[in-house]
Amino acid sequence: MNLRTLKILSILITVIGAFFVWQKGSFSVYGDQFGYEPIQPINFSHKLHAGDNKISCLYCHSSADKSKVAGVPSASLCMNCHTKVLPDSPEIQKIANALNENKPIEWVKVNDLPDLATFNHSRHVVAGVNCQTCHGPVETMERVSQQNAFLMGDCVSCHRTHREVTLDETGRPQIASENTTKKLMASTDCSVCHH
Amino acid sequence: MKDKLWKQYIDEDERGLPVLQPSSGISRRTFLELLGYTTAAIALTSCTAPEQKIIPYLKQPPELTPGVANWYASTCGGCSAGCGTLVKVRDGRPIKLEGNPEHPLSKGGLCPVSHSLIFGLYDSERLQQPAIKGSPATWKEIDEKIVQQLNAVKASGGKVRFLSNTINGPTSQATINAFLSQFKDAKHVVYEPISTSAIRLAHARTYGVEALPYYKFEKAKLAVSFGADFLGTWISPTAFTRGYSQAREVNAVKHEMLRHIQFESCFSLTGANADKRVKIAPAEEGEALLYLAGLVADKSGAVNGLPEGITSYQPNKLSEPSKAAIEKCAEELVREKGSSLVLCGSNDVDKQHLVNFINQTLGNYGTTIALGPNAAQGRDEDIQTLIQEMKDGVVAALFILNANPAYDHFESTEFINALGKVPLKVSLSPTLDETSSLADALCPTHHFLEAWDDAEVVSGTISLNQPTIAPLFQTRAYQESLMRWSGDSRNYYDVLRARWQTSLFPRQAKFKTFDEFWDKSLHDGVYVAAASDAAATVFKLDGLNEAVVRLASPASPTDGLTLALYPKVTLRDGRFGNNPWLHELPDPISKVTWDNYACVSPQTAAKLGLTEGQVVRIKKNNAAIEVPVLIQAGQSDDCVAVALGYGRTKAGKIGSNVGANAFPFVELANGTFRYQIGGVALEPTANTVSFAKTQTQDSAEGRPLIKEYSLADFISGHLHEESEKQIDLWKPHDFPEHKWGMVVDLNACIGCNACVLSCQAENNIPVVGKDEVRRRREMHWMRIDRYYDERPEGTTARFQPMTCQHCDNASCETVCPVLATVHSSEGLNMQVYNRCVGTRYCANNCAFKVRRFNWFLYPHDDMVANLALNPDVTVRTRGVMEKCTFCVQRIEEGKIRARNEGRPIKDGEIQTACQQSCPANAISFGDLKDLESRVSTLRHTKRNYILLEELNLRQGLTFLAKVNNNGGDLEG
Repeated sequence: MNLRTLKILSILITVIGAFFVWQKGSFSVYGDQFGYEPIQPINFSHKLHAGDNKISCLYCHSSADKSKVAGVPSASLCMNCHTKVLPDSPEIQKIANALNENKPIEWVKVNDLPDLATFNHSRHVVAGVNCQTCHGPVETMERVSQQNAFLMGDCVSCHRTHREVTLDETGRPQIASENTTKKLMASTDCSVCHH
Repeated sequence: MKDKLWKQYIDEDERGLPVLQPSSGISRRTFLELLGYTTAAIALTSCTAPEQKIIPYLKQPPELTPGVANWYASTCGGCSAGCGTLVKVRDGRPIKLEGNPEHPLSKGGLCPVSHSLIFGLYDSERLQQPAIKGSPATWKEIDEKIVQQLNAVKASGGKVRFLSNTINGPTSQATINAFLSQFKDAKHVVYEPISTSAIRLAHARTYGVEALPYYKFEKAKLAVSFGADFLGTWISPTAFTRGYSQAREVNAVKHEMLRHIQFESCFSLTGANADKRVKIAPAEEGEALLYLAGLVADKSGAVNGLPEGITSYQPNKLSEPSKAAIEKCAEELVREKGSSLVLCGSNDVDKQHLVNFINQTLGNYGTTIALGPNAAQGRDEDIQTLIQEMKDGVVAALFILNANPAYDHFESTEFINALGKVPLKVSLSPTLDETSSLADALCPTHHFLEAWDDAEVVSGTISLNQPTIAPLFQTRAYQESLMRWSGDSRNYYDVLRARWQTSLFPRQAKFKTFDEFWDKSLHDGVYVAAASDAAATVFKLDGLNEAVVRLASPASPTDGLTLALYPKVTLRDGRFGNNPWLHELPDPISKVTWDNYACVSPQTAAKLGLTEGQVVRIKKNNAAIEVPVLIQAGQSDDCVAVALGYGRTKAGKIGSNVGANAFPFVELANGTFRYQIGGVALEPTANTVSFAKTQTQDSAEGRPLIKEYSLADFISGHLHEESEKQIDLWKPHDFPEHKWGMVVDLNACIGCNACVLSCQAENNIPVVGKDEVRRRREMHWMRIDRYYDERPEGTTARFQPMTCQHCDNASCETVCPVLATVHSSEGLNMQVYNRCVGTRYCANNCAFKVRRFNWFLYPHDDMVANLALNPDVTVRTRGVMEKCTFCVQRIEEGKIRARNEGRPIKDGEIQTACQQSCPANAISFGDLKDLESRVSTLRHTKRNYILLEELNLRQGLTFLAKVNNNGGDLEG
């Protein structure tokens, strides 16, 4: 193999590689998953549930205010409503089958932080940060996509601007409230997320 | 070849210096160009992350919140001490054992062995399913086969034997008894390779109660121990350590402190902590006890009716210093009548008989010693009877649970040969060890974290053991196996509940319904009933005379070297031999990992011309082992000490063939196993090995690393001066909200190493192996420095837990070129793994050498073992530095909990892993900005000092000086 072939081959690899990436629609910044919109095993519409029917996020993602993870609802939770609502829909049938066959549903993770970073949902939810602040307008999405690059800068810029979280008279934290009784920091210490 | 490769690309110029050859093919520029293209190509094609799945429950259990740990109270199954534990379960997986502070015995402490058991749960080498004659079977097949054979045994009236270690659970014992009751001739043989049965037998002699007493160190003012390693391995070390450190605590208001005198020949962890440690030869122990008994009886005026052997005893072999020490000790004991404790680690009934006599004379029974009702557990000679019966071919069926005599019996080949004559051998053990590999049927039981059970170690205190995970493999509780084989199809949980309902529920009046009582007991992990009938403590003098005569003229040879066999704090009797955490945990005294060795005194080594690491052959009769020599300060010149529990042949991938097996030396004399063997021969060989030691420095070289005061000085307040304020080059840090700090009380710390393993389990710390430890590459974030304190009156040791000090003026932070180690706004010295590039400048500049570098990507390919990892802590990769974080994941968790609830953090709410289960309560952690917190208070006490204060590092961790109770006016 002579040098020219090598050069042409490597350019070709580059272009083909870039093309594949383009196909998935995330050509923008290296390593960033912005716009990632995987196909889920069940054609669940957040628009219908959270948007049109105005079901609270916390009804399904019930540990978001208690735990570091928001939690994906168990199949039985879906069936709380769907034993009555559209029980014959083919998508609901998938859930019913999962329960009958004792085979859990494997959702594809959309928003994924690298293992070197930890994030606690409960602290942000309880402090009054809207889900949409990080996850985008989920209530308008038929299929959920990643609407935030989730790079460190995204976290830190918010922590910097909301550096003063305050407690109101009842002791509940408030963002940007004027009647400050005690200042609480949205910390920018490395170890808050990296440990 | 190497030469040719070199020449291919590089030429020499006229001066003989290498120059690059003019390229015939690819030039440097082209090479870089290509490199650029391919890198870009790879980068672009790989910019989507791998697809990850989220698999939620089908039906989520109501008590479970993903990402939040549940804690279950349970009982440790590591040894027969039965300490109370709290099991941390994250998303259905137990990942950490901690002490249960509400348990009346262990009071929140845990030993290193207990911490290591999490690893054992996820050991993929555990037996995963039942098997018959080596081929896997189902439980149904096994049950059919065994029931069929047992029916034949029933018909023929053959002997059935059940061999196990000590069984603590009354319900389990009842189940075993019920199983055995269906046969005409059936017996439960209890076998403990490291036995304390002499204590039970001595109490049978003196009080007619065959039971282990419970020692209340917290009520004692003087403890005298003859070779009993009660802080390390003896009976119930965690509970004893709690009591001991409680009794030794001194502060502004409590000026009274337990004094501890240790007479011993090898150097034990307990001896290292003594206020006074007297080195005696093994052969002197009997004489010393006799002399002490006589003196105590004489001084307390209780000589009437005593055998003359005691009252007029004059030692003839006891050395002068030992004699003087015994005399002083007797005076002190009599002065502390009723609040002293005399203990002996020997398994010689006669010696224990004398100890009972001394304690009785001093009035310690009922005050510092509690004797419960009869709790006979079988005797050491029972196994001999069993072997004889098997040899005679009269045992028709043998059931083995956990006991492993094919490894730990002194005549293991006898046992193995005899076992061959038993037609039905069923093993219930959870691992394929030396004994169970000889069995016909393997019926593996659960790990204790998967099982129901109860334990009554001290009469009236009944702990519950509950499963915290569904069985990982196809195992079955041994109780259920036994029930199936006696036609009982219930599950063991129902049996346990039923027994609690009939036997314990009626004993209390607090709860109206059984369900309430059960739920409360299960929640607490323990139910404390009024102790059932305290035994009548009428002391009988019968047999004392004979015991005295036997002790005064020992039958075995006492000259020459005596081999002392001892269990290590880490590996104990070797039953958890396949656990690398225990192997890599340094011995608290010798600091050696992954090995056992022959400890000899420096004088003996010089006399025999031995050097450290030289392999010697120790021989007596048919037993012989080859182990390297370790020169041990403070050891008796007449004694060579070798640890038991090593040299397993079928422990598993990790634990087989580590060290040498010293069990063949154990002797059986007068019905008990003996661990001191006189007249052994020691032959040097030409081989030398190097130890994998984590500390090679034996002395603090006179530097005041560990400050120490006598009790008198402490009371009078003559302590170190407050140092002058030093000038800083740097601006002080601003800590707006918290400033985390730790105080370690060196007076409480006994150096047991429990914190090291607790830290390892919490922080996903890898094991590196013997060879890497030799290269000083061990990864423990916490270590305990040991410095010998050699004084003419006896050698002891000082311990100092050492971990990252979280200095405000940290020397590591200033040298990191990439800011991977920086100071947080809460006083933590942070290590940011994803920034670290591995220059190791920080480790080089650390004054305390507490930083650890990942030299390798330590394997995480065992998917079962990975279940033990803590999901809140990053698993570090090769090439990054790591160190103690003050358990920052726990700090963050505590902060978030408090903030979510809109309240300040309570003092003591956040506990580091090392602090939580310290058996001695030596570690305090908290917020220094909270002036009321325990750490702030301790920092302002007189004993507080800063290590290497002259460096002006402004540590977040300080120490409390040790206090030595030298016994006031009696000591010179």
